Amino acid sequence: MDRHDDFREFVLARQQVLMRTAYLLTGDAHLAEDLLQSVLIKVAGKWPKLSGGNPEAYVRKALVNQYISWKRRPRPEVLGTELPERGASHDDAALHRIVLRQALARLAPRQRAVIVLRFWEDLTEAQTAEALGCSPGTVKSQAHHALARLRAFAPELACLLNDSEMEEVAR
Amino acid sequence: MTRLREALDGIAAEAPLVNLADVAVAGHRRRRRATAVLAAAATVAVVGAASIAVAPPWQRADRTATPQGVDTVPDLPDGAVGPIAYAFQTPCEKQRNPVRIDCGTVEWRVVTRSGRTYRVPQALFSTAKDHKVPVAISRDGRMLAYYSRQAQAHVVRDLVGGTQATSPVTVKEERISMGSTLALSDDGRYLIFDPREGTKDPGLLIDVRTGKSRPVDGNYEVVSIKGGVAVLVRYVKTDLWRMPVTGGGRPVRFDGKFIMFSEIAPDGRTVAAFEFSDYAKRRLTVLDAKSGQPLRKVPIRGLPAGRGGAVMGTALWTSGSEVAVVYQSRDDVRTYAVNVKTGQAHQVARYPGVLHMRLVLPGVASQ
Repeated sequence: MDRHDDFREFVLARQQVLMRTAYLLTGDAHLAEDLLQSVLIKVAGKWPKLSGGNPEAYVRKALVNQYISWKRRPRPEVLGTELPERGASHDDAALHRIVLRQALARLAPRQRAVIVLRFWEDLTEAQTAEALGCSPGTVKSQAHHALARLRAFAPELACLLNDSEMEEVAR
Repeated sequence: MTRLREALDGIAAEAPLVNLADVAVAGHRRRRRATAVLAAAATVAVVGAASIAVAPPWQRADRTATPQGVDTVPDLPDGAVGPIAYAFQTPCEKQRNPVRIDCGTVEWRVVTRSGRTYRVPQALFSTAKDHKVPVAISRDGRMLAYYSRQAQAHVVRDLVGGTQATSPVTVKEERISMGSTLALSDDGRYLIFDPREGTKDPGLLIDVRTGKSRPVDGNYEVVSIKGGVAVLVRYVKTDLWRMPVTGGGRPVRFDGKFIMFSEIAPDGRTVAAFEFSDYAKRRLTVLDAKSGQPLRKVPIRGLPAGRGGAVMGTALWTSGSEVAVVYQSRDDVRTYAVNVKTGQAHQVARYPGVLHMRLVLPGVASQ
């Protein structure tokens, strides 16, 4: 039995969920794969220490931190503004996805991460703060600012962003 | 579930399938071997090599790292080359082992109507703060405007007459911010530069010939400049302002939320746009830009029916009764002329090899 079998089993079971998080963070299929791959390579080395705890939470935290770290480095363009290559249908939902992708690409990396963790992963403020390494108060303010920026960038998304439940989350 | 979560779910569902278990284990083993080598050698050279290996994927590579001989596209020469059909920005090249993106090859290029492609290295494509820098093409393809870092100003090239004019109005590179927009008049005399689309930061209407400039209300975004009149749109409300380049004019309010406005039609008073709720139905609205009244709604017929395609915007009027729409499929980008009375569309141009690149078409304000 290979010493990495447990790790392989974890990756096989959770890689698609983690890939979706990476994709929402980067907005680009290739970058998302690179991001997840680079994190999993590091996690493989730490696996013996992680396997008894909550490895998925660790990987998610590492994904977010690696993403923010990459975005801090000089880069030539905001990546992730490509339109979806597949799955687009001609309905309101498709239009919302197109506009939302473009608006997300214009957010600061931490704000984008907060949107993904709070509103897609449904993490609590405390869990989001843990993943981002900041205080719950910072998460609250980042969520508030991120939603405000999305509204400014994409007024067409008002119906998505003015949901009362979300207002409560960002208050 | 909130509607935002539904939309995020929809985007997440587009993530490709991956199989990373063995790749991650192999990568881990490579890392361990590299670490062992590092520890054994402990030389500056090896440390240097390792630091490259962990460089972030989108870190810029040295321009000299790209073999220039491979790319045979010539630079845009001085003088006349003929009108251009479109401009596009080449993408970063993705490399693996080590994972990184080489952006040393990113540049603006133009394609003439006769099919020749030229590099335009003097056109800045990205600021020092990594904000995208647009170029603009006049409606007839004769004029090309771009921002020159060296001149700290916009340059307008006449590609038919072979002349060049540098705007006397200096625009600091730092002013070019996220989503900056550029539009150019047919004669190349007027430019509208919006430093940051979607904010109240005012734009600038520049007379390249005289060096005079006037601010443009930051609430509005430029659509086009045609016949001495700039078409500006304020979204959400929605207001359209036909502002003469000498100033003045009054906005007209439409009843509804409209997006993707065309230039003013040859009749001088109508525009085409999509009402937000009609966009997914591919139903175009023809509006009276003087009274604000909708004239008719036209379902577009004849666009590809397959999944994965979307209308990206409207463009020029190809005749008094047809307006161009830009359509992106999974394979390429095309323009279709849509009859605004019948809705029938027919293809007028195809832009091969520019999928997911920044594409700039004549007469359309670009970002």
